[in-house]
Amino acid sequence: MRILSNKYFLLILRLIVGGVFIAASLDKLYHQEEFSKAIYYYKIPFLDPFINISAIIIPYLELFSGILLVLGIFKRGSSLIIIILLVLFIVMLTSAYSRGLDISCGCFSLETVGEKSNILLRIIEDILLLIAAIIIFLKSKIIINKENH
Amino acid sequence: MNGVSKNIASKHRSVLLEAVIIFIASAAAGLIVNAINPNGIGLVRDDSDRFAVDTSKTKNENLINKRGKLNKGGFLEPVNIPVETAKQLFDEKAVFVDGREEEEFKAGHIKGAENIPYKEFKDKTRDEKVEIMKNIDTSRIIVSYCSSDSCEISIDNAYEMAKAGYNNIKIYLGGYKEWSKLGYPTEK
Repeated sequence: MRILSNKYFLLILRLIVGGVFIAASLDKLYHQEEFSKAIYYYKIPFLDPFINISAIIIPYLELFSGILLVLGIFKRGSSLIIIILLVLFIVMLTSAYSRGLDISCGCFSLETVGEKSNILLRIIEDILLLIAAIIIFLKSKIIINKENH
Repeated sequence: MNGVSKNIASKHRSVLLEAVIIFIASAAAGLIVNAINPNGIGLVRDDSDRFAVDTSKTKNENLINKRGKLNKGGFLEPVNIPVETAKQLFDEKAVFVDGREEEEFKAGHIKGAENIPYKEFKDKTRDEKVEIMKNIDTSRIIVSYCSSDSCEISIDNAYEMAKAGYNNIKIYLGGYKEWSKLGYPTEK
């Protein structure tokens, strides 16, 4: 598992995860109302008061974390935020899937939310990104520890 | 606390500090940009009228003729109707507009319905929307629907049509699922 600590491997992971988050944020930044609707369509009652505030802040969280990850600044802080966001997305998608929410109707039509209109694929994508983000978070930590010893 | 555990605690603090800085910067950027953006959204989403199916009238005729209230955007808001009214309008040759994508529409839809996928329609200009609507008889009542009430593009599509100037739009939330379950006319 030495490859996981390889700096080029970690750089590629950072570019992929950061790049995906930057790209995902752009459409949401330009279509806030649509993103707000997309969150609303998950039909999670206790989220209702926070839908718009989430739609306002999440795109910037994704954008800033993505840029910082790509640039290699605040790697652990940005990967931690990305991990939290991905866990949130996976929980929401799984909840929507298990409740049989109708997502094949274009409800999740915001391109970044589900162009493929296939919730399982979205969950798998997010799990892969989560694994990559966790590797970045943990391995960045190990490198720092080694530097201090 | 020994030196090693102090070191670990300080590293945890620095990770949290980084995350908090990113969060505060994101929240500040989001709130400021939203405040100065003319298309910004409210801090709290208001969907209170979204599902209000108007069943207050005992006679469907009143409901059918009822026009929505004039919206802040200067258009008449579409009115939600129950399945009984939708069926009555169907029998009276109202135009049914299916907001789902072409693939789903082709798999089955309310008989005689027109397909105007919301996904493409929402991004059209007013003139382009009018052009698309030329294909349907807008002198009749238009009933917007999608697959079911967990879908809601029936509502969004209806609002897009209303914003384009059409003021005889109804929303049938039950959609194709409820319609076909009741054995009402469908086609592929």
